[in-house]
Amino acid sequence: MTSPSSLVDSTPSSPLNSDVGGLGDRGTWLLSGPQMSEGMETIANHIARLGALPSWSRSELRAIVRESGLQGRGGGRFPLAQKIDTAFLAPGEPIMVVNASESEPASRKDLILCGYRPHLVLDGAAATAAMVGAREVIVHLHRGSPFVRDALVSAVAERKTAGLDDPEWRISVGPDRYVAGEASAIASFLNGGEARPHFSGTPMARKGPSGRPTLINNAETMAHLAFLLRFGAALWRSGGTRTSPGSQLLTLCGEVGVPGQVFELVGQATIGDVLLHAGVTAPPAAVLVGGYGGTWLEGNMAWQVPFERTALGCVGAQPGCGLVGVLPHGACGLGETARIVRYMAGESAGQCGPCVSGLPLIARACDDLGEGKLRRRGLRRLQSLCGLVSGSGACSHPDGVVRLVQTMLDVFEDDVVRHLAGRPCRASNHPPVFSVPIPVSDVLDQVWR
Amino acid sequence: MSARVRIDPTRCRGHAICALFYPEGIELDRWGYGRVVDPTPGESRNLKRVLRAVAACPNDAVVLVVDEGHDAAAAPSGP
Repeated sequence: MTSPSSLVDSTPSSPLNSDVGGLGDRGTWLLSGPQMSEGMETIANHIARLGALPSWSRSELRAIVRESGLQGRGGGRFPLAQKIDTAFLAPGEPIMVVNASESEPASRKDLILCGYRPHLVLDGAAATAAMVGAREVIVHLHRGSPFVRDALVSAVAERKTAGLDDPEWRISVGPDRYVAGEASAIASFLNGGEARPHFSGTPMARKGPSGRPTLINNAETMAHLAFLLRFGAALWRSGGTRTSPGSQLLTLCGEVGVPGQVFELVGQATIGDVLLHAGVTAPPAAVLVGGYGGTWLEGNMAWQVPFERTALGCVGAQPGCGLVGVLPHGACGLGETARIVRYMAGESAGQCGPCVSGLPLIARACDDLGEGKLRRRGLRRLQSLCGLVSGSGACSHPDGVVRLVQTMLDVFEDDVVRHLAGRPCRASNHPPVFSVPIPVSDVLDQVWR
Repeated sequence: MSARVRIDPTRCRGHAICALFYPEGIELDRWGYGRVVDPTPGESRNLKRVLRAVAACPNDAVVLVVDEGHDAAAAPSGP
């Protein structure tokens, strides 16, 4: 099931060591093309390699998208066709947004796509805009991604020079906060408000905060669309499974050969196959799947599980943003979780009561558990806090934290018992495995514009 | 098409007045923030209470939304 990576390199222009590869025996789709060392693929090269986007009519486009079953790759996996139909049927010209903000700290798939293959993303966005009748496309990213911004700016300029039949492009830059990349937060930011999630009884695709239908799609979703419009829905579907069609981009983090490596999985592979490819030769202690608000899976079990929506669902996990994190034997899952939870608690938008009141308490309890200071009663309190906070917010941020904590208690049960008894942690000397961003200062804390 | 009670969690400050007016459908958590347990008021007697709860909230956090069927409303949005 392994094959040599078709694209392996690191470039000086990239802010991180970038290593990109294909997984499985069918090479890469979205990530094929010139070496990463050549930087961003130019429009001339892009068209020479893949051809121009076929000029379908609006209804043909919508039929192809429906046939493809393409699901949003930001994590929600909502069917794109349904979103497009909602926006198309709603009154008013839709606001069409590409979400390239990639808030998930360890995920790099959107950075790689927008930085090296921006024309795939923009092709997909132009086609979506045509489907819903939007004359402008806004590409939204975080302020702290100048690499992505520069690539997108020059890609947009190239397209103008090439005279493509494109919508107007606008690059929008928002605050560098975790929840600021959430769709409703972006919609409210673009409407002149703060980049914080908001609550609405109406789907944004029908009516966003501005009153117009607001269609927000992840960058990877748009790139898949550009691919499948060229090569057909049937071929594209064959890159995945019936319930999650198409290839998928994965980011590896934790104890892997090259943390931050992005793989494209074309076909099917178990988590074990993915890890073998990333240089992990045996099942690790545990695997973190889906993101920092994702699910811990026990290593041996995870090794056998196909990285695919339905199979992951059977073990209580979701593909999320495609993050696969490796916790090696000898590291402490409780301490790692505590650091992630502490970071996530600090990233609350500070709006919804249970999140504001609950996450700091959950983070404190996790810290105590990691340090061996928590006792049985504290554990029961932690469990009841999880129940209180879950599902209580305008966005799913607290739900992610709860999922991480609850699966930690489950997967690292033996360690929980040791820590509760105050016995020394077997992993106390292990260096941290998962990196979390430095917490923003209290002054910056209030910057949501 | 039916009406559903919802609490905007970004507005709720835990005044807990809604639960006084509509205890059948709104529960309070340990901090006093409301949580809707029965979103469909159904019969008119309940609807009246719900409307009182909506009117009484000092933060306009309790809202009655008209359900327009199943669609993108359920779309979870990733970061």
